[in-house]
Amino acid sequence: MLSFIDFLWKSTLAYEGDIVIEMHDVYKVYKNGVKALNGINVKIDQGEFVYVVGPSGAGKSTFIKLMYREEKPTHGVILINGVNVKRVRDWKIPYLRRNIGVVFQDYKLLPNMTAYENVAFAMEAVEAPKRKIKRRVHEMLELVGLYDRMNAYPSQLSGGEQQRVSIARAMVNNPSFLIADEPTGNLDPENSWDIMYLLEEINSRGTTVVMATHNKEIVNTMRKRVIAVEQGVIVRDEEQGEYGYED
Amino acid sequence: MVMKIDTMIRHTREAINSLRRNTWMVFAACSAVAVTLLIFGIFLVFAFNINYLASELDKQVAIRASVSVSATDDDIDQLKGQLEKEPEVKKVTFVPKEEGLKQMKAQWGDDAHFLSGLEEDNPLPDTFVIEAKNPQQTERLAKKIDQNYRLIDHTEYGEGVTDKLLGLSSWVRNMVLVFGLGLAALAAFLISNTIKLTIFARRREIEIMRLVGASNWFIRWPFFIEGGVIGILGAIVPVTVVLVGYNAVVNILEANNAYSFFKLMGMWPLSFYVAGLTTLLGVMIGVWGSLISIRRFLRV
Repeated sequence: MLSFIDFLWKSTLAYEGDIVIEMHDVYKVYKNGVKALNGINVKIDQGEFVYVVGPSGAGKSTFIKLMYREEKPTHGVILINGVNVKRVRDWKIPYLRRNIGVVFQDYKLLPNMTAYENVAFAMEAVEAPKRKIKRRVHEMLELVGLYDRMNAYPSQLSGGEQQRVSIARAMVNNPSFLIADEPTGNLDPENSWDIMYLLEEINSRGTTVVMATHNKEIVNTMRKRVIAVEQGVIVRDEEQGEYGYED
Repeated sequence: MVMKIDTMIRHTREAINSLRRNTWMVFAACSAVAVTLLIFGIFLVFAFNINYLASELDKQVAIRASVSVSATDDDIDQLKGQLEKEPEVKKVTFVPKEEGLKQMKAQWGDDAHFLSGLEEDNPLPDTFVIEAKNPQQTERLAKKIDQNYRLIDHTEYGEGVTDKLLGLSSWVRNMVLVFGLGLAALAAFLISNTIKLTIFARRREIEIMRLVGASNWFIRWPFFIEGGVIGILGAIVPVTVVLVGYNAVVNILEANNAYSFFKLMGMWPLSFYVAGLTTLLGVMIGVWGSLISIRRFLRV
């Protein structure tokens, strides 16, 4: 009975499986008057790998936050699989988020939990069955190469390792969409590349990856679609694009 | 809202951990709840007893209608039938004058010897004892019987004792309502502050839970439980104090014959009601406090 109700909830959302995000003429003005986005039009298909580049304060973060509904657009329409996100009721948003993983520059790990517990926490929070949690968490820690370090606390891990734990946490509920907001921002080049190979591996398994970045070397070496945002509008959207800025 | 037992245990564990973390805030919040509930508990004891006393008195507040000496046995039968047909009347009992004298002797007790010898030439009238369906109609019914029945000399009844008691009860209730609401609001405010601390202490966890798609209820539950537990903890002391105190008063009154007219409600049903209602109110205040903080600080 419970699983039937669960099924009903999810089916009304239609986010199971593939996710296609479209934005039509999206504006975002914050309450303090800052105009972050001024008419964004974009479509991201399932399975793509997208870099979002642009100067600081250009609106990259806002652009990304709209995708996982951390912010709502002031004007315009965001469609997820054809469904207007604005029309999705607040209580349904968590079920949308379960299919979108998010990774941050500062990892956002819980300091009083081990690597294992941090990853497991994401499954407990969505009330996954206990017997599944252990197996799945081990699987994810193996994927990110931290199986041996699962009992270490974040303070005992390097920055690169912490970021890999946070990627494991983002992926543990098997989302089809992964958002990374400057995931290599705090890392040295070597660790940055480890993270990039990991994201590419995840992408090759079918997960869409959208990544905001300031890292010129990565964008110009690992060629993917590049969306450049300046002053709240998309000024460039190229397949196999370049970074295009000097910093 | 549907929840697995695992999840429930998890929420309860979270709630208890937070309670341990903020011992002093919890203590302050519990104390505020305790003061509120103590007043509420004492009021409940009063209210139950006043209602109890009033209903006991109502049973005694019957109209005594004296039958004219000129009435024959047939008249009395007829009269009884007529009285029973009055819409306000619940019960009519005929008390012949011999029976009336016996009752009077029983009431006078040790002084009954003043009445001895009256059996020969009983000065008492035959009476009907009439109970109204609704005690509030007693006065009107008495007047009506006085006016409409030729063979009834006069009527008397318990002269508003009940009214005074019920009036006192509603006055006490209003006072408690005003004070109690103020105190309850204060207690809820203190609880909401405690919950605010917990929300603050757990803000990173909450952020992660929201990110990975924990349902809103999954995030809220531990805070409701925390508030509810504070309410229950706050109820322990006042319930104990009120019941032990009441038990002592009942014992004193029972031991001392001078107060025998004061009949208090027994310990058993009262303690059950008082403990239940007080704890329930404690939980409600706790959940109210949680709700304030959840709405202001949790944004889910």
